[in-house]
Amino acid sequence: MAASGSFYSGGRLGVMPVPEKNSKPRLAPGCRWAEANGAERMLMFPEGALRLQGTGRDILERCDGQRTLQQIVEELQAQYKTGDVGRIEQEVSNFLESLRQKRIVDF
Amino acid sequence: MLPTPLALIAEITHRCPLHCVYCSNPLEMQKAASELPTEDWVRVFREAGKLGVLHLHLTGGEPLARTDLTELIVGARTAGLYVNLITSGIGLSEQRLAALVQAGLEHLQLSFQDSREAEANEIAGTRSHPHKLQLARLIRQFKIAFTINVVVHRQNLDHLADIIAMAEELGPDRLEIANVQYYGWALSNRNLLLPTQQQVEQSQRTLAAAEERLRGRMRIDYVAPDYYARYPKACMGGWGRRLLLLDPAGQALPCHAAGVIPGMKFDNVRQHSLDWIWRESAAFQRFRGEDWMPEPCRSCDRRTEDFGGCRCQAFLLTGDAAATDPVCTLAPTHRVVEQALAQISSDGLPSPVLPSAERWVYRPNPG
Repeated sequence: MAASGSFYSGGRLGVMPVPEKNSKPRLAPGCRWAEANGAERMLMFPEGALRLQGTGRDILERCDGQRTLQQIVEELQAQYKTGDVGRIEQEVSNFLESLRQKRIVDF
Repeated sequence: MLPTPLALIAEITHRCPLHCVYCSNPLEMQKAASELPTEDWVRVFREAGKLGVLHLHLTGGEPLARTDLTELIVGARTAGLYVNLITSGIGLSEQRLAALVQAGLEHLQLSFQDSREAEANEIAGTRSHPHKLQLARLIRQFKIAFTINVVVHRQNLDHLADIIAMAEELGPDRLEIANVQYYGWALSNRNLLLPTQQQVEQSQRTLAAAEERLRGRMRIDYVAPDYYARYPKACMGGWGRRLLLLDPAGQALPCHAAGVIPGMKFDNVRQHSLDWIWRESAAFQRFRGEDWMPEPCRSCDRRTEDFGGCRCQAFLLTGDAAATDPVCTLAPTHRVVEQALAQISSDGLPSPVLPSAERWVYRPNPG
C-alpha cells in the first residue's frame, strides 16, 4: 500500500451543467444504501457516506436508472404539493450534478 | 465525548510481490506465520460493524496474497461494512476478481507506479506494469467503483500529464494522485523521492487543468506534498479520532507508522475487543484530544483542523513525538524541513537518467 493519507477529503463543486429532462439518473458503481434508521438513511460510497433525510433522500431514492429526471420532478411536485416546477427542476438538477462530480450518481 | 471510528484499515498481510521504495509498511514487518487466521478477522469485522465503523479498507502488503480473501469480504459485508480493496493487482485473474465481486467487493483501488514501464518497474522493484494495464481494462467490466492510485515523487512528477492520460484511457471513476509521505521506506529513500518546488508547482497547474477537463467523468483526489505546505496535514483525521489500523498480527495502531514512536504499546485483537481498544488502549489515548499539545499548537486556531499534524513525522524529524509537526511553518523546528528542501534544490533538477537500482532501499518480502 502506498504511503498516503487522504481519507474523507471534501469534494469541490464547480459550475453546474444540468442533466437532461430525459436522462435517467442512477447510483454510480460502488454506491449503495445502508439500512434505514428512522427518517435518516445512509448512502455509502468509496471513501465516504452521506446521511440523508427529507428532500435529498426523496430525490436519491428515485434515482433507480428507470425514472427520468422529468418523472422525478413530477413525483416530487406531487409529493410536496408545490406549483413551482421550474424551481424544483433546478434544485434537483443542481443536486444531482454535484453528486455526479463526486462520482456518486451517473446519468 | 469519544467519537466513533469511521474506518478500519486492515493490513491483512505484509507479504507482497512488489518492493516499492515508498511502501507504508513498517521497516519491521510481520511474517506470514504471525498473521491472524480467517475466523479472527471475521470476528473483528463484526465488532467493527457494531462499533459504528462504516468502511473497511483491505490492504497489505498485497491483500491478494491471502487465499481466504473471498471469505474475509463475505464476513465484512455480513457485518455491514463497505468493502474496499487496495491492491497492486498481482495475483488477480478474471476468475478471482469475479469471485471477489460476487463476495461483495464494492470498491477496488489499483496502484500504478508511473505511466512509463521501465520507470514503474524500477520503483516497484519488479516487473508489474504491463499486467496492471491489462487488469485495469478487466476491472472496468465489473460493476464496482474503480480508483487508480498513483504515488508521485521527483522521479515521476514530470510525467504527470502522461499519468493522467493513462488513467483517462483506463476509465476509472477516480484517480488518486498522492505525494509520497516520508516514513519508513520512503524516508530511507527521501533524497531520491523529494520533488523540487518547480515540479510541485508545475504538477499543481497540470492537475487543475485536468480536473476542469475531466469534471463529471473522472474525479481526481490529490494528496499534497506536506514538506511544501504552510500547515501540516490533518494526519489520520486526528489521532484516535476517525481511523483504526490493524496489522497482520492483530496489533491495533492509530496509524500506519505509529510503531516508530518510542514507548508505544499496542494492544492486540487476540486479547481485546475492538471496542475496548478504541476506548481504553493506551496507544489510542496517547495523542487523542488536545492535552498533549505544545505551543504553538495549544493556542493555535488551526488545532481543530490539523490536530497538530503528524506525530510520527514529528518524532522522525525532531526526535520528539509530542512536538508540533515540523512541516508547519509555525513550528520551532521547521528548519529541519527547510534544510531537506534546500538539499534538493542544491542537488539540481531531477537527473535525466534513472538513478541506478543500487541507490534505492527496496522493501523486502517478510516471508
